Amino acid sequence: MAETTNESFRQMSPAEFFYRNKEIAGFTSASRAMYQAVREFFENSLDATEVHGILPRVTVQISREDPNNPDFFTITVEDNGIGIPSTVIPDAFGRVLFSSKYKLRQTRGMYGLGAKMAILYGQQNTGKPFEIFSSTPSSKKVYYYKLMIRMDKNEPLVLEEGEWPKSSGWHGTIVKLTLEGEWSKRTKDYISVYLKRTAIIAPYADIIFISPSIEGEGKEPEITLYRRVTTKLPAPPKETKPHPIGVDLEMLKMMIAERPSANMKDFLMRSFQRVGEKKAEEILEKAKIDPRRRASTLTEKELESLYKAIKDTKFIAPSSESLSPIGEDLIKIGLKEVLQAEFVDAVTRKPKSYGGHPFIVEAGIAYGGKLLENLDEIAKDSLKGQQGPYVALLRYANKIPLLFDEKADVIWSIANSEEFSWKTTYKLEQTDVVAVLVHVASTKVPYKGVGKESIAPVEELRKEIEAAVQEVARRLRVYLTKKRKKQEAQEKLRLFMKYIPEIAQNLAYFVTDGKELREASKSLERELLEMAKRKVRAQLEQPEELTHIVPVALPVAEQEGSIEDPSTSEEEEE
Amino acid sequence: MSGNVIQDKADQRAREESMKAIREIFLKLVEQIKNKEEPSLVIKKRTLSNTIYDPKRKLLLLGNQKLVRKLFDESEARTFMQTVLMARIIYEALKNNEYPTIRDLFYRGKHTLPYTSPRDRFKNTWEEQKESDAVLRDVEVLTNKLREEMLILSKEKGKVVGDMRLRSGNDIIDLSKMGHGAYAIESTPDLIEFVDYSADYVLVVEKDAVFQQLHRYGYWRKNKVILVTSAGQPDRATRRFVRRLNEELKLPVYILADSDPYGFYIYSVFKIGSITLSYESERLATPKARFLGVTMSDVFGDDVPLNEIYITPEESRIGNPEKLRREKKERFLKALKDLGYKGKLSKEPFMTSEERKNFIIRAKEQDLERAVELVGDKVYKAFAGEQLKTTRSGKKSVKKSPGYQWFQEPKWIKEIGIFFLTHSKLEIEAMASKGLKFLAEEYLPKKIETKDYLD
Ligand SMILES: Nc1ncnc2c1ncn2[C@@H]1O[C@H](COP(=O)(O)OP(=O)(O)O)[C@@H](O)[C@H]1O
Ligand SMILES: [Mg+2]
Repeated sequence: MAETTNESFRQMSPAEFFYRNKEIAGFTSASRAMYQAVREFFENSLDATEVHGILPRVTVQISREDPNNPDFFTITVEDNGIGIPSTVIPDAFGRVLFSSKYKLRQTRGMYGLGAKMAILYGQQNTGKPFEIFSSTPSSKKVYYYKLMIRMDKNEPLVLEEGEWPKSSGWHGTIVKLTLEGEWSKRTKDYISVYLKRTAIIAPYADIIFISPSIEGEGKEPEITLYRRVTTKLPAPPKETKPHPIGVDLEMLKMMIAERPSANMKDFLMRSFQRVGEKKAEEILEKAKIDPRRRASTLTEKELESLYKAIKDTKFIAPSSESLSPIGEDLIKIGLKEVLQAEFVDAVTRKPKSYGGHPFIVEAGIAYGGKLLENLDEIAKDSLKGQQGPYVALLRYANKIPLLFDEKADVIWSIANSEEFSWKTTYKLEQTDVVAVLVHVASTKVPYKGVGKESIAPVEELRKEIEAAVQEVARRLRVYLTKKRKKQEAQEKLRLFMKYIPEIAQNLAYFVTDGKELREASKSLERELLEMAKRKVRAQLEQPEELTHIVPVALPVAEQEGSIEDPSTSEEEEE
Repeated sequence: MSGNVIQDKADQRAREESMKAIREIFLKLVEQIKNKEEPSLVIKKRTLSNTIYDPKRKLLLLGNQKLVRKLFDESEARTFMQTVLMARIIYEALKNNEYPTIRDLFYRGKHTLPYTSPRDRFKNTWEEQKESDAVLRDVEVLTNKLREEMLILSKEKGKVVGDMRLRSGNDIIDLSKMGHGAYAIESTPDLIEFVDYSADYVLVVEKDAVFQQLHRYGYWRKNKVILVTSAGQPDRATRRFVRRLNEELKLPVYILADSDPYGFYIYSVFKIGSITLSYESERLATPKARFLGVTMSDVFGDDVPLNEIYITPEESRIGNPEKLRREKKERFLKALKDLGYKGKLSKEPFMTSEERKNFIIRAKEQDLERAVELVGDKVYKAFAGEQLKTTRSGKKSVKKSPGYQWFQEPKWIKEIGIFFLTHSKLEIEAMASKGLKFLAEEYLPKKIETKDYLD
């Protein structure tokens, strides 16, 4: 029976594989697919600008272009980035797993997948090709391609190409994708929230979003604009070599394949950070491998003992040069600008590492002002399920906002108001709302699942997040203490002002014996008001008490004797 | 204003002195402000803890604890304002030859204040008379002037008759020519001038009705008595008037009140002063006043018959009543000895046991509690063991009370001991019911003659 089988065999291309598993990449529903497509192109645009020292200006437009297919949406994303060399364009957008970002440095895209997934998703349902215009800063031309992906071959199929001479200094990329989707409040919320949260951590970017009105056709498109409010860019990440603790056996083999003819000592020193001559010798001695051996000649067994030796060796913690934290200033600027909060602060922690991967935790906090009305829809939804003090969490991993699976995230488990002592230690009121931003930057963010929407509770990371949130919470408390004290003082002054005129008038009577009260009364009143102000000011200048805010309770008035008089009343009413 | 009122000299003098006292105190505040000091008033505390019994002078007095009332203290700004306001109103009234009542003071000062502070929700200078009354007391303490001296009027309750002439305002009043009525003791008894009199002692009757009966009976004429009634709890004017009779005319003062803890307390107010308003005692109390009756021993004698000793219904159900009564009497005698009573126990009652049956009222729990308050819980326990209050759970408890020192003298302990033993009280009216003649011709004269009173 086995011999007569008609089973046919073929190889599946990466394009087909990933398309079949598009859920992993976030393309789960019509709504999420539109959101995911916008994200992929938008993130490519940011990677092409800020990582290269360019102040980003990105326009995202969603429109209905095809009157016969109202469910077809065209997504156009334009940036002022470094562009793509014309020869690379077809591969960059037509070949799954083709990328310029397979380097050890913090970028948003990392796998060479995103744009292609969006293109595949679009073309499979609509049959429409993908279009791109691009020009690099040094190029004298603008190039145009219209292409599709040949899924079976994982190859670009170029339908049209063109080029124009450039008259202006423009450089950047315009991509245009048509997909079948759904324009609902939900879709709109996903995309708006994503852009708003990105605007918070990228106040150096101009972000323009043009979308159809959800009301229906014929209505004017809606435009959302986040203006650049600073020209300060975060320091771009530097490419680094991997840290020895972070590699696994497979990666070790790949690295050897890149440097097959080097001797082992050279191989270790050149391929890894934190490995000098001594370290290399130490490792090789443990692994019982001759330092002069050619890398490519290692046996499987030797490779394993090399791997074990590496794991048994102590190294200096990984360098954090490959990371690009947002920075305290930018977080503060962004929170202030986008949330219009009364108080904002931020902290960037020192770099730490887990399992050979460097990471940096940053936290920001926003309180008061117009915070509540400027919070995004997803944050508002989260507040609805809370008991107060209300915590709006803004989570980011490598500068990408995380919108979903909030409760599964280690950040939530630390900062939610049942766990974190917002009320007791940090003196928030039950009804207070606070926005807490947490950014985890790492060459390897420990995500909790394939969805990459929540961060796993890695102990080293957990500690840092907690410390960061505590620090910003403490700063908020200092602010609130000061503010409440000021309010106290003002209220006190108001109270004195209520009684001073009455006191002045009555005392004046004794001065003038009832004649010409006005003058005497006014002068007493002036003196008393001066005194009241001095008194209140003196109180404000007292050194801050940071840890305790004592609510001022009116002392109980002096009680009269409590032994009950057997008589009903000794005082007549008349 | 003063043109159509002929003010007498006493009135004028009082006005001027009071005005001077007020002005002095409050100009000090102005002084403080001019010197850029935060204005503050130092007032003797009118609290129970600052009420002291002076055993030598037999007076309740204010101690030396003081409170500083500051304008620039959030919790005091309002009372500070009220104090100044009250002082100004009184001062202005004095200046204008007026006689405001305490209610007038309340209305004159009450007005709306500007709304500047969301924290302080009070709308007016003061909302209730309780507030203005409280600062009036502060002004009295501050200036060391009683409201009567500041010519503030209150309802007249006390009455007096007797062979006596006095000057009130510009009139001479003959207290022996009041017909069936009596002279109402004026709110400002310090303005009264004693012209002449013929009397051996003063009798103060708590009950207005008994006062009227004795008056009509001609008791004061026959016995050369100045007859006064406080008509219940004495007001300040009556107390001040009685004090002046005793102090200035050296007339002995006897108090006649109900035979119960409430009656005892009224006596105490005349004699020692009121606990909640001790600052006035110095001028209102009559330390030499004597409690003439009705005493418990007047009713029962010193030797309370066994069958009139009270036992609770429960006790009679559980034990042998005879035996219980005997035990109670023994405990009574032992307690008296332990608490320092050394006199003989030989007094005869004014009533037969038959009469007692008709006139006596059973004491209520409230009366007992009041008695414990007067002598203190320690004395009560010595007499009665533990049983005072029966709580729902069946437990018996006594409210802790230190008692008043002047009620802890052996003579008083005996009286209140009899009260504990018999759970009985008697109103003066009952004595009169036995016959007005008995009260006027037997009881009172005999008590005075044999010096059968407490002091
Ligand atoms: N807007 C753009 N500007 C410049 N280069 C781009 C842009 N979009 C995509 N690229 C290039 O195309 C490559 C593939 O993009 P993509 O499929 O999204 O994968 P990834 O972003 O993970 O590398 C990127 O690595 C980048 O080099
Ligand atoms: Mg990408």
